[in-house]
Amino acid sequence: MKRLIVAELFKLAKQRKTYYALASIFIIEGIILLSAYFEGTNIINLLLDNLRKSFYFQGSLLNGNLLQYLVLNTLWFHIPLIIMIVVSGMLTAEYKDKTIQAVMLQPIKKWQWILSKYVVAVIFTIGVVVLLYVTSYWLCTGIFGEGDLVVYLEGLNFFPAKEAAYRIRWAFIAGSVSMMFFAVSSLTIAVLLKDVTTTWIVCCLFLIICNLLLKIDLGNTWLNQYAFVKLNDTWQYFFQFTIPYQTILINWWVLVGYILFMAAAGIFVFNKRDIG
Amino acid sequence: MMRVYFVGWLVISSLALSAQGVDEDLLRMKQRLDSVVYFQVNLQLETDISFVHMPVKRALMKFEKGKPVQFSSSDFVLLPKRGLDFSLQSLFEYPVVTLVRNIAVKNGNTIKEINVIPADKRADFTIATLWINTSLRRVESAEISTSKDGTYVLQMHYQQAPDIFPDRVEVNFEIERIRIPLNFMGKGTQIDKEKLKSEGSKTGKIFMMLSNYQIRYKLR
Repeated sequence: MKRLIVAELFKLAKQRKTYYALASIFIIEGIILLSAYFEGTNIINLLLDNLRKSFYFQGSLLNGNLLQYLVLNTLWFHIPLIIMIVVSGMLTAEYKDKTIQAVMLQPIKKWQWILSKYVVAVIFTIGVVVLLYVTSYWLCTGIFGEGDLVVYLEGLNFFPAKEAAYRIRWAFIAGSVSMMFFAVSSLTIAVLLKDVTTTWIVCCLFLIICNLLLKIDLGNTWLNQYAFVKLNDTWQYFFQFTIPYQTILINWWVLVGYILFMAAAGIFVFNKRDIG
Repeated sequence: MMRVYFVGWLVISSLALSAQGVDEDLLRMKQRLDSVVYFQVNLQLETDISFVHMPVKRALMKFEKGKPVQFSSSDFVLLPKRGLDFSLQSLFEYPVVTLVRNIAVKNGNTIKEINVIPADKRADFTIATLWINTSLRRVESAEISTSKDGTYVLQMHYQQAPDIFPDRVEVNFEIERIRIPLNFMGKGTQIDKEKLKSEGSKTGKIFMMLSNYQIRYKLR
């Protein structure tokens, strides 16, 4: 099993699209930083326009923490999309190049082979989120410095610099669980569909539907709380003025349950199917 | 006969108007405040606005006569536009007329309620009501109406009887409901349009604790 995981990691490191994906993360960060550099002050002014009437502002809110928060917002769509494309490609490329048939001729169990892909998908996802956190911290605070963070979430929440850094760090950790869900789901979709293009389109659709349903009332308290589409904003709970730790923990466990279910479903289907 | 009454009314009115100057107790209090040429104080600010969640903030405030008040802080601070002018510099920047509304005794002190009306269009307030402690020559509370920034109510609390400046100030003010462009909304944020429409303007409060005053008085 360990060798399978190493082999899958090696394959991932060898394919060009992995590096395109990582490069696209840097490009997204670059665009956010550039737009903040040129437009950031206007955005802050717009955000605090009402308060300006009654208050003087001492200090700047355009700082590394705000920029890192903006980078964090790529966890809604950009980052999961990149992860889903790369992760689903780990399997669909094998079908397309017919390398899966060669692999299956080796004395390895099908479920072990696909499980190693799921493990590598999770490792890759964690790697991407860590890279995103480290580069955004380095770039944002390096260029814009540290400072208080303002977030609009059920009102304007202001956090001192140190507390903001703590919340951002935990939001990245919470976000990585959501990203794992999307990564594992994309691999399961790849198991079901096999075709590269179809898998990508369905992955995009899955992501869009998840984002849309997050805002829509599902008409049932349980569904509104624990449907998988409702759990992907858990990282944002770290920006409520009082962090609801208990809700976050429950959401994490439920989301881990969904991840295991998705992986189990993919392994089951892959194991039952013929390779053809 | 009517003409006589009319002329008489005109004479009395003009006499009453000319008698309207600045109240003597107010002038005495202003004189006391004017004796301060510089002060600095540590501020601790606590906001109470329904849609703003901000931890307690600290700043250093410096006042120098004739200059705008200066603030410094290591982090981001919201400072109320009104309520920090303890010297009442902005009220007396241009000529004013005053009108005594009431005199009452509270805790053994005489409190005079005075309307301050600007006599110059350049003044940034439309009317102010000051409650002055005439024996201690200081402001107990104030209500300042402005055309641009709404009405502000200030409650001053002093640590000791002879203190010229307060150690605790409560500022009540009007604030418009917040209008955030949708781009800034988190995806999980629910927007109740009806509630937003009905809310209109709100009131906010700021509690300021002032400590470690360093005051420099005018040399006599």
